Amino acid sequence: MSILTLDGVSKRFGATEIIRGVSLEIEAGENHAIIGPNGAGKSTLFHLISGRYTLSSGSINFKGEPIHNLAPYEIARRGLARSFQVTNIFPRLSVFENIRCALLWSEGYRYSFWKLLGKQQSLNAKARDMLEQIGLADKADLPSGELAYAQQRALELGVAVASGAELIMLDEPVAGMSHSEAENAVALIRRITAGKTLVMVEHDMNIVFDIADRISVLVYGEIIASDKPENIRGNKQVQEAYLGEVITDDNA
Amino acid sequence: MSEVFIFATLNGLVTGLLLFMLASGLTLIFSMMGVLNFAHASFYMLGAYFAYTISGVIGFWGGLLFAPLIVGAIGAIVERYGLRRVHASGHVAELVFTFGLAFLIEELVQFFWGRDTKNYQSPEIFDFALFSLFGQEFSAYRGFMIFIAIAIFAGLYVVLTRSRVGIIIQAAISHPNTVANLGHNVPFIFMCVFGTGTALAGIAGVIAGPVLTTFPGMATVLGSIVFIIVVIGGLGSLPGALIASLLVGLLQSYAIASDVGMPELLTLLGISFDRNHPLNDLWTLNLPQIAPVLPYLLLVLVLIFKPTGLMGNREE
Amino acid sequence: MKKHLLLWAAFAATLIILPSIFDSVLGISILNQMTIWIIFALSYNMLLGQGGMLSFGHAVYFGLGGFMSVHALNLIADEIFVFSITLIPLIGGAVGLLAAIFIGSFSTRKAGTVFAMISLGIGELIVASSLIFVDFFGGEAGVSGDRTYGPPFFGVEFLQDSEVYYLGAFWLFVATLLMYLFTQTPAGRMANAVRDNPERAEFIGYSTRRVRFISFCAAGLFAGVAGGLFAINYEFITEENLNALTSGRVLLMAYIGGLGFFIGPIIGAIILTLMNSLLSNYTELWMLYLGIMFLFTVIFLPRGFAGFIMMHRLAWQNGRLKLLALPYCLTAIPAAAFVTALVGLIELSHAGDEGLHFFGIALSSNSIVSWLLLFALAAASAFGVKLTRARLATAWQAANGASN
Repeated sequence: MSILTLDGVSKRFGATEIIRGVSLEIEAGENHAIIGPNGAGKSTLFHLISGRYTLSSGSINFKGEPIHNLAPYEIARRGLARSFQVTNIFPRLSVFENIRCALLWSEGYRYSFWKLLGKQQSLNAKARDMLEQIGLADKADLPSGELAYAQQRALELGVAVASGAELIMLDEPVAGMSHSEAENAVALIRRITAGKTLVMVEHDMNIVFDIADRISVLVYGEIIASDKPENIRGNKQVQEAYLGEVITDDNA
Repeated sequence: MSEVFIFATLNGLVTGLLLFMLASGLTLIFSMMGVLNFAHASFYMLGAYFAYTISGVIGFWGGLLFAPLIVGAIGAIVERYGLRRVHASGHVAELVFTFGLAFLIEELVQFFWGRDTKNYQSPEIFDFALFSLFGQEFSAYRGFMIFIAIAIFAGLYVVLTRSRVGIIIQAAISHPNTVANLGHNVPFIFMCVFGTGTALAGIAGVIAGPVLTTFPGMATVLGSIVFIIVVIGGLGSLPGALIASLLVGLLQSYAIASDVGMPELLTLLGISFDRNHPLNDLWTLNLPQIAPVLPYLLLVLVLIFKPTGLMGNREE
Repeated sequence: MKKHLLLWAAFAATLIILPSIFDSVLGISILNQMTIWIIFALSYNMLLGQGGMLSFGHAVYFGLGGFMSVHALNLIADEIFVFSITLIPLIGGAVGLLAAIFIGSFSTRKAGTVFAMISLGIGELIVASSLIFVDFFGGEAGVSGDRTYGPPFFGVEFLQDSEVYYLGAFWLFVATLLMYLFTQTPAGRMANAVRDNPERAEFIGYSTRRVRFISFCAAGLFAGVAGGLFAINYEFITEENLNALTSGRVLLMAYIGGLGFFIGPIIGAIILTLMNSLLSNYTELWMLYLGIMFLFTVIFLPRGFAGFIMMHRLAWQNGRLKLLALPYCLTAIPAAAFVTALVGLIELSHAGDEGLHFFGIALSSNSIVSWLLLFALAAASAFGVKLTRARLATAWQAANGASN
């Protein structure tokens, strides 16, 4: 059953059409990667799904209900979480507070101004548990703005996942990381998104072919192929789109 | 009726153009540096006071020449040693800094010049009526104010759109880092822009001082109105600032000149009212009374319905 | 948790003891002012420090609360309305809250410059209206009431300032506690998150507008409580209490004290109240000094006095605070001398022919010796600061370096 359905989605900025009629089905539980050359509109597509941009035309359905006219916070509440390409956390709050804030809505606290956070045992336990999972338990009280880059990326991931969303969208989760950092990050992604639907944009083909069950290729705002990794690798059209960046077994 | 209308229009035009002299500098600074200079009207006040002192020694024209230069230099120093340090702490800190600066300048003016109103007069060569309509005279000095304001607008417009400096400035507005990478000294440009903007405010002070009286509260009187104009016009838009200045000037001028109010309106609607009612103040409200409120009302309405202002396209 | 309880108990004890220490008429009067301004400054910090909303019109809620409270005092005196004087701050708070609900419903959509401008516009709008609606605002003269006509509260009729103090201290304690607790709730924490990164807050399920709105309403409520206390303390209120002057003053308090810390505005309110009440007795230039101090804070101590104190946390944790003591003193002495010389110069140039008595020394603005003396002191002390600064810097590094 598909959890997320895009139907004829397009987005224009002025006269330029960045996304040109994208239709896509994401199955519940799959790991889906979106790849494509620079400027293909991958991030824009993410922004459209998560509600940061409004569609020019088309529709997006999440769990069978249209979400394309909703504000980002309404989409998030329905169980669709995302991370950002550029680290996007709450820099002056501690690492622990970052995670706890991400948990608040899904734990049903809403805008409560009568409950004291310090007394919410189960909430705090969950936040600490998430910190353990992303390996930042020993940095819990540090202002998150002071973390090292790779740690901030881990926190970014933690904030996205903490809410318990069913569908998680990751925008270049390992960009800018060293090889070993990236390996750790991939292991982390696998661990904390287990059993959930994952949609990711990533440039590193090793990681894409490692994680994804299915891959969609976005070129100039259009999906030119959407298939299993092994079929994508052999796809002529895809190879042409990458202009010589032939995907071989070497770097796959 | 028509003579009231014509004079209200002329007065509104003079006020509007005077406001624009301030608003243009403020807009220039904002569009370049992203700083809303709360102290802008304080530089205007400094312009009036320096011109008053200088004109006592070498006459009005000396004041018109040197006072804006002094004010601009002070502005440049403030940017270099104050604003630039605060810049790192973000826009809110910058706004708070200029707020404090406005406070300090008012105190400094009282310290150096005293609390009393200064007898700063327009030069004698303008002591004649430019023309008279329906028996009312329009003074030559007001004509001179209109001339200077239009000259400033034209000058700014030409510099910004035609000159090399203008092109660099426009580029620095939208892509400060790129401009820096091209080898331009962006901090230096910022300092010059801040100096120029404050000098423009200084000119406005020199010219407005004789008409609007030179006293320590003159910055406060105009300060928030000018601030509001650049927001109504759209932050960073020079044409927007011009339109909003004229709009506010005319609006206030018409409101003051008109003699309609709630009593007339209620009579028109056929509603009678009780003079002793607790809401009497509301029933007897008239337009001249609410004239000072109109710019703020306009601001709130604009911000609610079009947060970017009339001509603006920035929304932080 | 225990530490917290202890802190609050100490706070309560201090509030109770203070009037016994500062028992002069002036002392009590200053303490009374502090209760008002601390609540007001803390409420302002809910906006700017915790919620990231820079307001130039926070006095509106303070003033409206105050006006309604004075009217309430009059209604109580006229026996139209039976109510205890002790609960007047609740009326102020309710009015502040209502005004905040109305204005916040459209002004909290954005933070930043747009919010600042709307707050400025609304502030000016209310001030201008206050001069139009004379019946409610009393025009330029304001409105006055009398707190002593209400039903006695366990025999207390609030004839004396010290009685008013305990009432103010009670409300100060309650308001401070509630505002602190607010920072520990989901709404309070999300206000910080929205301040830091509104975009991300939306993606974890929160409407930034709603989060800001809640903080805004709470800030209006407590500003109104402060306005109610003002009404009880001064028994009159004018347009000045809701205009830009008062709005600016609370901004100064919060900023000088330190925005990022709960205790910051408390420190700021205490400093400004002291300057206002004490310094103004010695010099008519105190506002000038306040302006200089404010700009100095914005430039050199962007996190205020509380931030300055907190800068020493690392040294404290390292147990090396004592390394700093001597270098601090060595720099502080010439620095104090420098400030003294500057103040002397400013005062002397303002003194006119009468001259001035400065720390027991008679100075005359006509005598070159007086001027030279002050200039020499300024130059020498500036040199002294320069000499000792290097040592302070070294000590600072040693105290904050990694412990080993």
